Amino acid sequence: MTKFLAIIKREYIQRVRARMFIVSTIVLPLVMSLFGIVPAVVLSIDAGGPMRVAVVDQTGKIYTRLEEALVNDEQPAEQPDQFRSTPSVGGRSFVFEQVVSVGPDADEQRARLEQRLGNKEIDGYLILPPDFLQHGKAEFFNNNPGDVLSSRVLRSALNRALREQRLIEANVDPATRQGLFQPVDLQSVKMGASGEERDSGERFFLVFGVGFVMYLAILMYGQIILGAVIEEKETRIAEILFSSVKPFTLMMGKLVGVSLVALTQLLIWATAFGAFALYGVNLLASRGLKVNIPSVPLAHYVYFVLFFLLGYFIYATIYALVGSMVTTAQEGGQLAMPIILILVVSFYLFLPVSRSPDSSFSFWVSMIPFSAPVAMLVRIVAQTPPFWQIALSLLIGFGTVVAIMWIASRIYRVGMLMYGKRASIPEALRWARQA
Amino acid sequence: MTTDITVQLDRVSKRFGDFTAVKELSMTVRAGRVFGLLGPNGAGKTTTIRMIVNITAPDTGTIQLFGARIDPALQDRIGYLPEERGLYRRMKIVDQLRFFAELKNVRNVEKKIDEWLARVKLSEWKHKRSLELSKGMQQKIQFLTAVLHDPDLLILDEPFSGLDPINVELLKEIVLDLKRAGKTIIFSTHQMEVAERICDDICLLNRSQKVFEGSLREIKSSFGRNSVAVRCEGGDGVLDDPALVSKLVRHADEAQALLAQGADAQVLLRRLIDSGARIGKFEMVEPSLNDIFITKVTENA
Repeated sequence: MTKFLAIIKREYIQRVRARMFIVSTIVLPLVMSLFGIVPAVVLSIDAGGPMRVAVVDQTGKIYTRLEEALVNDEQPAEQPDQFRSTPSVGGRSFVFEQVVSVGPDADEQRARLEQRLGNKEIDGYLILPPDFLQHGKAEFFNNNPGDVLSSRVLRSALNRALREQRLIEANVDPATRQGLFQPVDLQSVKMGASGEERDSGERFFLVFGVGFVMYLAILMYGQIILGAVIEEKETRIAEILFSSVKPFTLMMGKLVGVSLVALTQLLIWATAFGAFALYGVNLLASRGLKVNIPSVPLAHYVYFVLFFLLGYFIYATIYALVGSMVTTAQEGGQLAMPIILILVVSFYLFLPVSRSPDSSFSFWVSMIPFSAPVAMLVRIVAQTPPFWQIALSLLIGFGTVVAIMWIASRIYRVGMLMYGKRASIPEALRWARQA
Repeated sequence: MTTDITVQLDRVSKRFGDFTAVKELSMTVRAGRVFGLLGPNGAGKTTTIRMIVNITAPDTGTIQLFGARIDPALQDRIGYLPEERGLYRRMKIVDQLRFFAELKNVRNVEKKIDEWLARVKLSEWKHKRSLELSKGMQQKIQFLTAVLHDPDLLILDEPFSGLDPINVELLKEIVLDLKRAGKTIIFSTHQMEVAERICDDICLLNRSQKVFEGSLREIKSSFGRNSVAVRCEGGDGVLDDPALVSKLVRHADEAQALLAQGADAQVLLRRLIDSGARIGKFEMVEPSLNDIFITKVTENA
């Protein structure tokens, strides 16, 4: 037992002291928040300035409407929440220039516009034919047909302009017109035990965040185990260790030691998250930035730890097994690929599971031990299933952990002393049977 | 001489699949002596040692340690320096030594660590990480991990390979000191010259089997002085005569001649003089362990 503790202690202290641990503890939350912010920022970067568009309005009525529509589109009357995925429709701005239609001599005018387009004086030109109001057909010429975003913004603005003009011609009064354009404000409401809870996107991000942290932590700490086992094999420390402790004690000490490192890191993150929820939100609110962080019941933290440990012990044990079979880190990486694949798939399952947490599909994937950690946790956060399901999932999971550990420890003790060549899988299975 | 027995193997066999690594091996390691486990690469030395330190279990046969049936608790009384050995690259030397001592259930080793580091002249490296040490320095640290917990039985598998002569001498001194302190040492190597200098008893293994076992003295005297070291000019035809010399090894300025069965060294000397060779040296010598080994192995084959 004291030897077991010595191994845990070494594993814990060496890792928590390492620069790697400190860096990842600080950097990961930053990276995560960047994932949230960067896409919005990047999309709002208006590379190359506003798009200059020449408009040949042969109807003579649409041009002003179009300008109005674009302004309205860019500043929506009401912003439903701070998590809009495409803020200000990509932030593409336009500068319009009205070109007076010269009637019959359209071809010559067009040639002139082509020339200006070629000289880069304008970025595109839009031709609204005289029958535009009836058929709604317009042509947009530009140098960059791949700029889907701009075309989409332009199309929606044109749509609005056209509709508005048609309504005007149908003699609809301005108040009614405005009412017609009032945007929909759809809010999904989660039914909870404590009555209803307003939900406008934050919960999705919470589900995503929790699933992602779970996936990342399992992957990261699984890889750490892989590296640790390979180090002991590569540097031939294993033989000295085995002359003092049983292979099973060594493997378990390693797994438990690293799991404590992981829990330490998760605790730091949880504390930081909690502190942000308490103080950071208020601070941001006082500067006029409203952030809603959904309240997370204490039980969810407990479940998170339980399912993290479940996922960690399943995958890390397999990683330890793989590490004992290979001779170099590269070989380890190759042999670990299928494991990562399973892990990635189980992470992406969070999408269908979060969409319908009580479907039978969600039920089954949250019972399969390899996908349960992410899937069950996503279910708990999205729509807490009955307790027996959670308990059953944990029971199946930890039963699997015991089985995997039993097999792994047998392969591990043979594998760790095999130098020279990588063990094949049938070979490893034979060790498991014989040992 | 003490009659206490530290390690006793009784008809021990170990197979890996179709390959027999150790076959029906019986041997006795007496307390307070340096026991050489010798043999070429692949003879089964490492497998035998792994069974003694309880890393692997024999398929058949029994092993007794300190007079008791082998048991994990007895591992703490053994210090083992494997041939394949290493250190944690990023761990400080002092932390590694403390860790390896803890794995032997030994605590409060700070003072001992300082003493041992001073002994191997690595005190100033105490707080360095092992990747900063040269290979020779690392090897001395590895040696310390085997002796720090003051074991009664020390097993050293090729402890001197790759060390410079000064450090070989340093470690040899320590091994002999430990022997004087009453520790038992099993010393495994394929370098016969090294074994010859420090072993009291030897056991020769070849192809998974024991070739012979006993005290180095007895073995040598049982072989008799049937070797001659010769330094002479001319007389080549005499030394090449198979009736007199069964094996001739030429070194830089002298030759070692193993006398043929029934040949007399005096006859050899007379024939050399008669042939007109100028003799600088003619000395009866003990056979080297290497010669004994080669003779024994070819006898058995």
